[in-house]
Amino acid sequence: MTSVEQEWRRLSVRVVHLGLIRLAMSSVSGYLGVTLRDDPVWPLLAGAAFGLLGAVGDLVRWQTTRFRITADVVEMRTGWIARKHRTVGRDRIRSVDSSARLIPRLLGLRTVHIGSGETESSFKLDALDKAGAESVQRELRADAPVARPGPATTGPAAATGAESDISEMSPTESGSLAEPGDLAEPAEESIARLRRSWIWLNALGAEAPFTLIAMVFTLHWALRPFGVDLFAAIRGLSGHLVLLTVLALLAIPVAFAVRAVSFVVDNWRFELVRSGGTLITRHGLFTTKTVQRSDARTRGIAFAEPLLTRRLGVTTTKLLLTGSAAGEGGGDILPRIRLPEARDLAARILPDGARPLEAPLRRHPRGALVRRIGWSLYTPALLAGALLPFPLPGWVWPLPLLLIPVTVPLAVVAYRSLGHTVHGDYLVVRDGALTRKTVALQNRAVIGWSLEQSLWQRWAGRMTVGVATAAGSRHYVSPDMGADQALALIAEATPHLADAIIDREVSAC
Amino acid sequence: MLWRTLQTLLWAVGVLGILGAIWYFAEVTRPWVGPVLIVLAVIYAVNLTVMPSWRYRVHRWETTDDAVYTLTGWITHKWQIVPISRIQSIDTEIGPLQRMLGIATITVTTASSDGNIEIEGVGVADAETTVDRLREITAATVGDAT
Repeated sequence: MTSVEQEWRRLSVRVVHLGLIRLAMSSVSGYLGVTLRDDPVWPLLAGAAFGLLGAVGDLVRWQTTRFRITADVVEMRTGWIARKHRTVGRDRIRSVDSSARLIPRLLGLRTVHIGSGETESSFKLDALDKAGAESVQRELRADAPVARPGPATTGPAAATGAESDISEMSPTESGSLAEPGDLAEPAEESIARLRRSWIWLNALGAEAPFTLIAMVFTLHWALRPFGVDLFAAIRGLSGHLVLLTVLALLAIPVAFAVRAVSFVVDNWRFELVRSGGTLITRHGLFTTKTVQRSDARTRGIAFAEPLLTRRLGVTTTKLLLTGSAAGEGGGDILPRIRLPEARDLAARILPDGARPLEAPLRRHPRGALVRRIGWSLYTPALLAGALLPFPLPGWVWPLPLLLIPVTVPLAVVAYRSLGHTVHGDYLVVRDGALTRKTVALQNRAVIGWSLEQSLWQRWAGRMTVGVATAAGSRHYVSPDMGADQALALIAEATPHLADAIIDREVSAC
Repeated sequence: MLWRTLQTLLWAVGVLGILGAIWYFAEVTRPWVGPVLIVLAVIYAVNLTVMPSWRYRVHRWETTDDAVYTLTGWITHKWQIVPISRIQSIDTEIGPLQRMLGIATITVTTASSDGNIEIEGVGVADAETTVDRLREITAATVGDAT
């Protein structure tokens, strides 16, 4: 065997066991569905059918999937009726993450996602056994030297491991496969671990009512097959106002408790470590997830602080990465935590240890405040005006005017959160009313600028500055900067572009 | 400019036509659709008469050896700047209406979907020379475009 011609590897044989377990579970639920009541219980039957299909799919997938990792490409063949062969260059691979749901995890299975920034060129290996998944992750790690003799030495080890896995069904044997001695794990530097104080920070929040509503709906649909109609019960209570209020009051702590529990389940044993040039997060109680983010892809960091918990100084932290699709998570690196803590962690998360998010920001001109208050007044007024011509009852149209006491303070909040600066290698912009977002982006990640001026902004000499970038959400905006502030910002962040822009600016005005 | 007028005209006829048909045939909706129809008619009238020439007056674009610039808009002006080293691809598009008028749209694509620049209403010959030139400069410029 040469390093050019690599063995094809298969998924773990335990996928078959998983399929069989699913088969058994779905037949039990199907049996219950038929026998529990006189008429069939459809949700249970549907569940059984889905389980059956899933199990068959598992078996087919195990039977047909082959993959291999060579020195320059990753290849996968899969499919039964429609065969698919996918090849992606190794230098295109941006992320290798693994996750496991409860039952696969008990069987020692891990699903490996190999992402290359686009869904069409990404792989999902569902599922490998734990050791196999780890070795794939290690092999494909961004900082692992691509041209090392590794494939020649680790390839056979893993491949023979996979073979032994197929021939010997005992799970203890396959546990020992794929122990590539030459790929010593780089020392891990722990950055953060789950703390007890994080739990209640994440449990509190404006989203709690939605949790409650979702809970009621789920309960309703879960109890429906057994002849309990929750909605009817609530309607029946509508006469008893006191009882309803008490129930609602009781429900609020319950909602917070549910959020706390779900947070703990999601982030159980959360840890963020740096290993070589890669940040790794691991978390989850039932479903575990491991996400790797290479330092080479990091272009900046962002905080998002919701309005309601602003006083507590609570923030979520996002990493701006290139090469991950705009919607594709990857960014959320920390749960909601206190601001000072988040700042310290941010400095350790960024490869260069900079602290751009703490830089003092330049305020935007007063005109921005006037504009925001103007919006907050005339938007409700326009809405009310727009309702006038419609044939609605007379009391409907002034309703939007009631929003004004809310929108004016929001306008002030929105103005106060505006800010921008250049801090070292980072461009920092901040805006947002309900959620204040502070974004620090490396200057080298700035692809282009867009400057927008409405009629009124032209008169007042303000402009909205948009930053195009390949990282994070692709586009960051700092509204209502002073025109001279905007030019100064561009000059500081991208000196080579600035002269030409300023020339044209002057000539165009 | 003529192109935009025609385009707006087509849109106006389409949208107003559909709403008008609803207004005409479904009597129940009349009180609801009526006001919307009037407002839209006013907006389209302004769009037809003022917008195309205004846009034409504002519209400017330029390509240099290091960057592509555009200025577009009418009520809201928008400058866009993309350095040559960040360009990923350059497309030219000529629709049926545009073919009639002998103009083209050049799209400069970058790694950020919001960083793309569209230059509309360029003469076909101009567009070709521009694209060729940009292609040469891009090929000569090093950078991974991200």
